[in-house]
Amino acid sequence: MRRLAIAVSVLLALVFVTPAFAQLRVDVTQGTVQPLPIAIPNFNGDPSGAQIAGVVRADLERSGLFKPLDPKSFVDQIKDINVPPNFADWRVINAQALVTGQVTMQPDGRLRVDFRLWDVVGDASGQSQMLGLQYFTTPENWRRIAHLISDAIYQRITGEKGYFDTRIVFISESGPALARKKRLAVMDEDGANPQFLTNGSYLVLTPRFNPTAQMIAYMSYIVGKPRVYLFDLESGKQEMLGNFPNMTFSPRFSPDGNKVAMTLEQGGNSDIYVMDLRTRAVARLTTDPSIDTSPCYSPDGAQIAFESDRGGSQQIYVMNADGSNQHRISFGGGKNGTPVWSPRGDLIAFTKQAGGRFNVGVMRPDGSGERIISDGWEDEGPTWAPNGRVLMFSRTLQGGRGSQIWSVDVTGRNERRVMSPGDASDPAWSPLIQ
Amino acid sequence: MSQSITSRRTRISLASDAGAARSKFAWIGSLSLHAAIVGATLFTFSHALDIADQSPPMIPVDLVTIGQKTNIAPRAIVQPKAPPQETPAPPTPTPMPAQPSAPQHAQAAPPPEIAPSAQPIKAPPQPQAKPQLQPKPDKKDFNVDNVLALLNKVAPAAASAPNAKTASRNVKGVGAMNAMTADLQDALRSQIAQCWSPPVGAPHAEELVVDFDLLLNSDGSVAQPPQLVGQSASLAASDPYTRAAADSARRAIYECAPYKLPADRYSQWREINPFHFDPRAMMGQ
Repeated sequence: MRRLAIAVSVLLALVFVTPAFAQLRVDVTQGTVQPLPIAIPNFNGDPSGAQIAGVVRADLERSGLFKPLDPKSFVDQIKDINVPPNFADWRVINAQALVTGQVTMQPDGRLRVDFRLWDVVGDASGQSQMLGLQYFTTPENWRRIAHLISDAIYQRITGEKGYFDTRIVFISESGPALARKKRLAVMDEDGANPQFLTNGSYLVLTPRFNPTAQMIAYMSYIVGKPRVYLFDLESGKQEMLGNFPNMTFSPRFSPDGNKVAMTLEQGGNSDIYVMDLRTRAVARLTTDPSIDTSPCYSPDGAQIAFESDRGGSQQIYVMNADGSNQHRISFGGGKNGTPVWSPRGDLIAFTKQAGGRFNVGVMRPDGSGERIISDGWEDEGPTWAPNGRVLMFSRTLQGGRGSQIWSVDVTGRNERRVMSPGDASDPAWSPLIQ
Repeated sequence: MSQSITSRRTRISLASDAGAARSKFAWIGSLSLHAAIVGATLFTFSHALDIADQSPPMIPVDLVTIGQKTNIAPRAIVQPKAPPQETPAPPTPTPMPAQPSAPQHAQAAPPPEIAPSAQPIKAPPQPQAKPQLQPKPDKKDFNVDNVLALLNKVAPAAASAPNAKTASRNVKGVGAMNAMTADLQDALRSQIAQCWSPPVGAPHAEELVVDFDLLLNSDGSVAQPPQLVGQSASLAASDPYTRAAADSARRAIYECAPYKLPADRYSQWREINPFHFDPRAMMGQ
């Protein structure tokens, strides 16, 4: 009966209802992914304003999500950042956002940097300040201010945290192929301020930041045998992590920084162990007679991804942080290794070896949705930006012409080289600097 | 003769027997047949209702959309001539309410001397008069007319645009999604696709769906700031990803305006609600 009533009422509606103004429903399912045109004139005031604006432009351009417009195209000059800009002048050059800034030297010798982010699109009611921030710092620290401004703009426009105020620890390589010098080095995310941490007299590999970016775990041959070491960036001190009789390698901090998971080799059998840095207690997580290595925690610390050849070929597995529930997740063909869990938790990056090539890919933690995102001949060892949006990896050029660090968006777009002094490999991205 | 009588009698008696029997069977037969017919009717009727229940007014819409897509293609090709970057001239010189939305940039740095501290700064005060953007409408109107003439080859806009604010409340009716409007939907879709750049790299970007209520002037320009509606409106207030998705859609709405739509059918595209932005298909899902 109710159905009948519904049917009748629908019929009646069809017959009698004729809207005066119909609302049109439009489903938009296709767009064009393109960088946001943004105008960033040089900041007013102190001469460093031009440098700061330049770094912000470079940061945002590098992300691939913004298109900083050429300052030569600007028809308007920002004279006072405390007066709303003339939006029409910025729309004329197709800017959709505008950054205005001002740098002033304070009486106490500090630099004061103000900036505002404006929404240029829309009519009068749509144009507004999206963001306004003020920073104080020492003059020599202007680069960091620029990165912080880039992060703030990036976050406001994309919704996710930026990654410009970060550093990269990597292996700097120099010298002939047979006598390669490998040194531990750090630099800013944009390649600026490179610094060598070790002198190259011994081999270093697989450096990893701890969650505060103050400590680096890495594998080194300082005493002739490969061991995991900790390097304190502030004090410059390094210490061997545990005194194991055999080789330890492939270290990785837990998300809370209190533990280090690593591989310990004993009699040809490699297994994953975890050491509590506070108590120095060691727990064994895998017992399989095959090679289990490259552990990496999930961002919540509850699970560990690792690689193992227990099934006959190198594949990616996931287990609980206590070693239980070990199961394979990579079934996309080829060999798969070096899993790295995204800080966002939604993806695991890895290296795939198939068809004579090495490429970086991502998959969901259950192994689904696998896709290859790097385009080189030998790309390996991915590391995530702290926002889980961008990856860096090592690229070995075909024919042994050296190694470089490259970055790529998680979507596979915007692949580009990260400038480094000389050859570089094995990058590890720091968290946002605190 | 007697035989014939007998036979007739027999026949009569048979007939009368049959009549008695028939009246009994007739009742049963008639009842059961009626019952069967009624039963069958009920069955098919309820079945039909089930189908109707499961797929409400969606079916005709789907059919129409597919059919019109092929028709709209040439129109979409003609359009690139129109200047997409032409920014809409705000009809109302309302001063902009600058909002100092400034999330605290937490700075807890160990070495204080190299720790840049961030403080939100408020939006600057309002200038007394906004620069007039009046010269623009001429150029824009001219272009729109050109395009409309190309597209429609019909009489110019008969009805002038009622002011969006004074217009009667719209009624969402059955006519909103039928063959009459499918070409408009496709026209809008193909135009906005050139301008919409959703945040595809966000986590679960496929779920960042936003809905706008958009009022257009008869020249295809934006009549008043598009309003976020539905679930996305509340989400955008708290979730930065949804806010970014909403911002990208809002920018697209303005960037692509004025929309090239047949002026004589202004009543059909005066209000677009919901203007639904769904990036799922772009994520390969």
